[in-house]
Amino acid sequence: MNSAPPAAKAIRPDDAHVAKAMHSFLADIGPSSALAMDSCIHCGRCAEACQFYVQTGDPRYTPIHKIAPFKQAYEREMGPFAFAYKLFGLTPKISAIELMQWQELLYDSCNMCGRCSLICPMGIDIADLVEQARHAMFVAGMTPPDFLGLLAEKEQVTGSPFGLTSPQMRDMLHDIGAKYGVVMRVDEAKADIVPTLSSIDLKTYPSSMAATAKILNHIGANTGLSWTFRTDGFDADNVALTAGDRAGQRKITLGIVRAAIACGAKTLVMPECGHSFTEMRWEAANAYGQELPFRIVQITELLAEGLADGGIRVNKAPQTATYHDACQLSRRGGATAAPRLILQSLGVDLHEMEDGGDANWCCGGGGGVALIKRAQPLRDKAFAIKQRQVEATGADKVFISCSGCRQTLDHGGKAIGWTREVASLLELVADNLRN
Amino acid sequence: MTLLEFARGPAWQASVLILIAGVAWRLVAMILLRRRPQFAAPRHGLPQRIGGGARTILTRFMPRRAFWPRIAVSVVLSATFHIGLGVIIFGGAPHILVIRQFTGLSWPSLPKGVIVIVSGVTLASMIALLLRRLNHPVLRLLSTADDYLSWLLVFLPVLTGMLLSGETVGGYGNLLALHILSVELMVIWLPFGKLMHAGLVFAGRGLMGMNFSRKGAAT
Amino acid sequence: MDVAPDDKETLGAMLATRGVGRRSLLKFAIAMASSLALPPGVAPLMAANLAKAKRRSVIWLSFQECTGCVETLLRSSSPTIDQLIFDFISLDYQEALMAAAGAAAEKTLHDAIAANKGEYLLAIDGSIPTKDGGVYSLTGGRSNLAMLKDVAADAKAILAIGTCAAFGGIPKAFPNPTGAVGVEDLVRDKPIVNIPGCPPVPEVLSGVLAYFISFGKLPDLDDRKRPLAYFGATIHDQCYRRAFYDQGKFAHAFDDEGARQGWCLFELGCKGPTTHNACASVKWNNGTSFPIQSGHGCIGCSQPDFWDAGGFYTSLAGGSATGWRNAGIAAAVGIAGGAAAALAARSKAKDVDSTPAPEDKP
Repeated sequence: MNSAPPAAKAIRPDDAHVAKAMHSFLADIGPSSALAMDSCIHCGRCAEACQFYVQTGDPRYTPIHKIAPFKQAYEREMGPFAFAYKLFGLTPKISAIELMQWQELLYDSCNMCGRCSLICPMGIDIADLVEQARHAMFVAGMTPPDFLGLLAEKEQVTGSPFGLTSPQMRDMLHDIGAKYGVVMRVDEAKADIVPTLSSIDLKTYPSSMAATAKILNHIGANTGLSWTFRTDGFDADNVALTAGDRAGQRKITLGIVRAAIACGAKTLVMPECGHSFTEMRWEAANAYGQELPFRIVQITELLAEGLADGGIRVNKAPQTATYHDACQLSRRGGATAAPRLILQSLGVDLHEMEDGGDANWCCGGGGGVALIKRAQPLRDKAFAIKQRQVEATGADKVFISCSGCRQTLDHGGKAIGWTREVASLLELVADNLRN
Repeated sequence: MTLLEFARGPAWQASVLILIAGVAWRLVAMILLRRRPQFAAPRHGLPQRIGGGARTILTRFMPRRAFWPRIAVSVVLSATFHIGLGVIIFGGAPHILVIRQFTGLSWPSLPKGVIVIVSGVTLASMIALLLRRLNHPVLRLLSTADDYLSWLLVFLPVLTGMLLSGETVGGYGNLLALHILSVELMVIWLPFGKLMHAGLVFAGRGLMGMNFSRKGAAT
Repeated sequence: MDVAPDDKETLGAMLATRGVGRRSLLKFAIAMASSLALPPGVAPLMAANLAKAKRRSVIWLSFQECTGCVETLLRSSSPTIDQLIFDFISLDYQEALMAAAGAAAEKTLHDAIAANKGEYLLAIDGSIPTKDGGVYSLTGGRSNLAMLKDVAADAKAILAIGTCAAFGGIPKAFPNPTGAVGVEDLVRDKPIVNIPGCPPVPEVLSGVLAYFISFGKLPDLDDRKRPLAYFGATIHDQCYRRAFYDQGKFAHAFDDEGARQGWCLFELGCKGPTTHNACASVKWNNGTSFPIQSGHGCIGCSQPDFWDAGGFYTSLAGGSATGWRNAGIAAAVGIAGGAAAALAARSKAKDVDSTPAPEDKP
């Protein structure tokens, strides 16, 4: 099953596909996004919230400008006065060559972090509009090649961007269990809790998978709740989402949903990962078409719950550290409090970052930007803000709850010669369990 | 028919009717689009979501501390302009009279000297905003003809109103006619351009607040 | 008109017979010069000219009017010099006041025109109906329209007295069933002075006459042919309640607290700001009072079309309402248009790929 899905390679970025792309974009529009498209007053504040504009001064990175061609299509085709726009030719149709200029704006220079949505005085969710615009770019064949071929294709076929099949996954998990001395439960028929993984963890941080297993075993011992990994729905990374491939996104999502339903899960746990959480927590039920029979929590929420109700018991691990809020977990996802509860339970002396918390600056790697090689210089510029934030706290350790951020901070830190440690909150808890 | 009679008579009627029709059109065209149902389990119930919507409407008037340094100038200029406009419209005696005529409500007015001064400050802030829009790289990229037209259609009423209040330049009758006509031009354009933000701002913030409160996300 | 002065007698001689000496005439001239906004140095010249002046024939035609303008000019508690000036002009024809009637009156008119050809002043009050050949106002079977044409032909100048003669006045108010117009709409080849007001301020007419008698020409006029000296400013500019307007102190209802305090009547419909006349300075009944001083807003009676200007009790700030019916129709049009646009948009969106991306609903 190694043939690439025909759709990914067959899309030619030409004017016909651009027309189809606009059409697909417009199909997404309901009252709420129509209002968003209609409300912009050109105040320019969104630019001041965006790390890419702030660090480069290039006005093209103004968030609302990133969706300009789509806004024009909306006005011309679906807006309240579309007939007048068409009649007087107020917004001409965009050609493929022109639309290609927006590839960099929509992919390289946008983490979909949502700071722009937070600053907008008109209440426009610009980050969401960028996500919708990426759908159209995919249909137009204008997704950056870094996403396709390598990752999204493999993900479409195997469910994993690294092309891991179920048997391979199973073997990997058992190997990790053996290496870290942790009991792994894989593909059990029934379980109360189903955890999912991020492909970044698979590749770079296998210790977090061991930590997940260790904690779930601990919870099981204290509460009697059972758990299992399911290799028929394990990789929550969903590169297709950030690529804009709606069909692929839906496929991954439903794979996980069905796996959880199949084993009668009550709780689906999302890993240390940003977009996977927002995708599953807030969109999976819609892809499924009805309410889900299980609840969805991010791993930090599970940990905070357990620490609060006694399902998880820990020893104190006093240390000084700061915490980096992942955009999709805190600002966009609503899980800002959980990590802080965890740190408090462990006796960590938390030095909060200035401009952290809900308004935190993105690490620069989110939304798939970390995948795009040519975007490295831009990412480095964005990372400079993160560097300043962390260094200003005076802490030598940065905790994270998202592997994407972890990887970006690791790589970024290495490039500037940090001696700071970037550590996973999940692993902190796993390392300090009290049996 | 003198210009003043035209302004107070058929022009006023026509502009109000166009306003009503245009606003209704624009809102209905958005409201009736296809809505897709939301099946994900909400973090908060409906009362909290409505409260979140209302709160967001208020909190977005004052940006978060993290954003403040980079947008302070924009916020101060914009606030000066909007507050000045509010003082003029709701504190100026003739405006209160118009409101009284159509709603029966009225309240004490400000002396016209105060209105003149506030008008001057408002005009100054508008000029500063225009200069900013013409020079700032982001605003130059984003701005369209609508931005400049809307600016002009608000500038003229404030200017003519200030001259009318000051009562030193121009004949009262003609200035009043020009003032009313300039307001009517603004009213006619309102449903079709960015001036509609006067209403959309509440809808957008409210919906975002409700939507994000549903997720417990930051508003 | 109890004395018929000698044709040869000058104004100065006539006044002397009534015990009004040169000094009084000079005082009058000073007051007149001031009233006419002339420099004070002109007064002695005016006095001298007045003393030397001979009788000027005035023919007065009353058309579609209420006689209020004539009444106001006669309203005087004791003879004043103004009144005497009226005596000094030879009012050769005036239907309300003259003794003759019928054919004798017609003959008087004919003789007066013949005797003063090219020199007489033609004073007119009342509008002129033009519809249906002007049949709506006839004197002796002749339409006002025809009379005006005839008598204006040999006049030196025309004084249109009162808003009806100047601009059409009340008969011209919507729907103007008689086709009433003012003098200036019918006579284009003679100098015209409009002295509007409903009725006009009597001192304005005497001022214009005094000027004419003294200098042989008409005073400076504005773009509506009104004497600048009396119509150059608005009521608002000279109103004694102006300070209240500036401070924002308005009466909200007749006889409310503000009204009793004498506050500005803008809210109660006063058209002072857009009305040009001398009421606020010269006032009425020898300077006794004027409408605002009596507690009622100016109705703008010296302005053209004042009757159709949107209501005496609607303030200048208020407009005419569209009415709920029209507003409802506009809303319906908007809703229909918006619905049509939304339906068009929905049908466009329908046939796109089947995977719905969720639309957030609060």
